[in-house]
Amino acid sequence: MADTDQVVLVVEDEPDVAETYRLWLEERYTVIVAESGDEGLEMLEERVDVVLLDRMMPGLSGSEVLSEIRSQELDCRVAMVTAVEPDFDILEMGFDAYLSKPVKSQQLRSTVENLLERSEYDSLLQEYYSMVEKQATIEATKGTTELENSDEYHDLRERIAELRDELSETLGGIEDDEDFIATIRGLSDVE
Amino acid sequence: MSNSAEFTYDLSEMLPFEGLSSLRPGTSVLVTGPTMAGKDRLLYDVLGDGVSQNEAGIVVTTDGDGGESVDMVRSKAETADDSLLSAIDCRAQSDREETERDDGSCVYSVSSPSEFTSIGIGITDAFSRAEEANVTRGRLALTSLSTMVRYADQKTVFKFCHVLSQRLNSAGFIGLFTLNSDAHDEQTISVIKQAFDANIEIREVDGEKQGRVLGLGSQPTEWRPLS
Repeated sequence: MADTDQVVLVVEDEPDVAETYRLWLEERYTVIVAESGDEGLEMLEERVDVVLLDRMMPGLSGSEVLSEIRSQELDCRVAMVTAVEPDFDILEMGFDAYLSKPVKSQQLRSTVENLLERSEYDSLLQEYYSMVEKQATIEATKGTTELENSDEYHDLRERIAELRDELSETLGGIEDDEDFIATIRGLSDVE
Repeated sequence: MSNSAEFTYDLSEMLPFEGLSSLRPGTSVLVTGPTMAGKDRLLYDVLGDGVSQNEAGIVVTTDGDGGESVDMVRSKAETADDSLLSAIDCRAQSDREETERDDGSCVYSVSSPSEFTSIGIGITDAFSRAEEANVTRGRLALTSLSTMVRYADQKTVFKFCHVLSQRLNSAGFIGLFTLNSDAHDEQTISVIKQAFDANIEIREVDGEKQGRVLGLGSQPTEWRPLS
């Protein structure tokens, strides 16, 4: 087990393929494997950060597992692993990324890394928005002198400046059109 | 942050301010001012200026006609290659439909200003067109955020702006977004401002259009007349 608290769930009915993914990822992440969609959903009762979901499986299909993940509003990123090259429709279905088989090690690692970076960006952006909103509320209700003397207000402004820097240091995993569309699609359904 | 040292954008012809003569690629600017203060015209001019220098020009319009927006940009850019011009029309009857116009420009239809995914796909279409033409510079104008916050909640609009800015940053493009200052309370405006790198305020005094820039230096610039 890697000494990281980030968990990747591999849902894949071919044991050899699943084992390969585990080998590629276990240095950096905690990897757990499910052999079917149903088993995958059970494992999602524990905290999982990224799910690699095979599209074609006996029993529950990848798409069915995904819609279950979304309807339960589970806070994880889902990459679909597929044998066919998909188009934007796949992203619109609610996947955060896709990988075409055969998947290469470098590609798998960078996809997982990218999805985790996007999650971090999301939570930073969420916090940034809350802070900015709070600042606007305080400014609207307090006078200039009162603001000058408020420690809470100074701390808030400092935190906002920090978050601004953190946000500008990362591209949030938004490097190309696929990342961009997947992130926008997640805007209104992730709170 | 791509190509940050290689080139900058010069908007000083339309906006005679120091910081705007060499704007870093990836910069997103909010343009605020009263309704009808000429903000849209200013953005079309900025895009037209870019297109006539062989840059891509992308208009996202929430209340006007996509084709008319393209024509407004072109009126500033006689020498423009029209295939570099795209509009995303967010008040269309249809959704996600691309129409190539006779002049080679492209209008992408989106059925509502709150259909962020469709707007995003329209923008990526415009990126692809620029890429096919080997164009790596471009300007995007969104007019207006005031309409967007009527159709979607403020938080989603805020995040959309930030995500779009990130994408513009990775593409090395710049973005300009308008907000009608007389259509929202102070609180809303001050929140939306924070999704951007800088802010240009526009006002009209005795029939003269004036502007100033905030957020590029430590202090706001003086008010200056704009043509």
